[in-house]
Amino acid sequence: MTFNVYIIAIIFSIIFLVAIIELVRKNKLLEKYSLLWILFGVVLLILSSTPLFIEKIASVLDIKYAPSVLFLFGMVYLIIYNLHITTVFSKQSQKITRLNQEIALLKEKVEKMEANKEH
Amino acid sequence: MDKPKILVIIPAYNEEKSIHTVIRKLKLHSDIDILVVDDGSVDMTFKKAALEGVKVVRLPFNLGIGGAMQTGYMYARDNGYDIAIQVDADGQHDPVYLNELIKPLTEKKCDMVIGSRYVAQTAYKSPISRRAGMIFFSWLVHLLTGNTIKDTTSGFRAVNRGIIEYFAENYPTDYPEVDVLVRLHKKSFKMCEIPVEMKERQGGKSSITPLKSLYYMIKVSLALFINSLRSGDMV
Repeated sequence: MTFNVYIIAIIFSIIFLVAIIELVRKNKLLEKYSLLWILFGVVLLILSSTPLFIEKIASVLDIKYAPSVLFLFGMVYLIIYNLHITTVFSKQSQKITRLNQEIALLKEKVEKMEANKEH
Repeated sequence: MDKPKILVIIPAYNEEKSIHTVIRKLKLHSDIDILVVDDGSVDMTFKKAALEGVKVVRLPFNLGIGGAMQTGYMYARDNGYDIAIQVDADGQHDPVYLNELIKPLTEKKCDMVIGSRYVAQTAYKSPISRRAGMIFFSWLVHLLTGNTIKDTTSGFRAVNRGIIEYFAENYPTDYPEVDVLVRLHKKSFKMCEIPVEMKERQGGKSSITPLKSLYYMIKVSLALFINSLRSGDMV
């Protein structure tokens, strides 16, 4: 077997999967966000383990150069995942805003109560 | 109707130079409460406001005008106010107009009253670029809601209890002035305008620089179109 894009992809997906699991183990990545990445690693591993799958897909999609199916898959996946991430942090920034406001209002209330106590 | 409980909300971000003047002028009205929302200022805004003996709510970090105003509306909701009025901390809004701003609300003619620069001829002069933007937004709001509002970006506004409760839950984070007009229309709130004169700002810097103007116009227009597609409740 020659050293080609398939071998690189196999090595990459294995390292990738190990890294994801390591991040979850060290609590640096939440399980719920790791699932999509693990799925990505597994699909990449399957696609790159044998040229059969992507050659089949390539012929169906009329792609001349079969390994570019791998790149296509990777890119589409990243775009979708990025969109997912921006929805996640939009939600979070709304929550942070609300926390900021609630803290400000609570502080005002506490200060008022303490001022009343002193008198 | 009994005397309504009125809260003036002053959103302030680094306005130490003008905040005390604004508060002192407002204090000439005896029947109102004053709340300063310090939007995470890094200057003496908080201390200056506290020295004037008004209520001050201090946000732990800067949220922008929308987040600050919403905090004020949350306060108004939680403390049972009937009317909330936004007055900017830079001294542009003259408290002389407070009674006129409140009148249509107590008479139940509308739910929100906007103090507008362009309803009648006033001494206020604005740069041409800004004026063009105002006409554009006015046209856009008319297109989307059918309402004619001349001064869509004026922050000098009074709202009733119904809108206070709505704003406490739904208020856009940045550039809220135009945005809420479409949201309120969706929720069938009535809006009207009264003519006011605005002054030159007395201190600090305007949050809108020429460079940001184009970004502002695009962003607000986009927000308006998307708002006209949704129910008015934030997700």
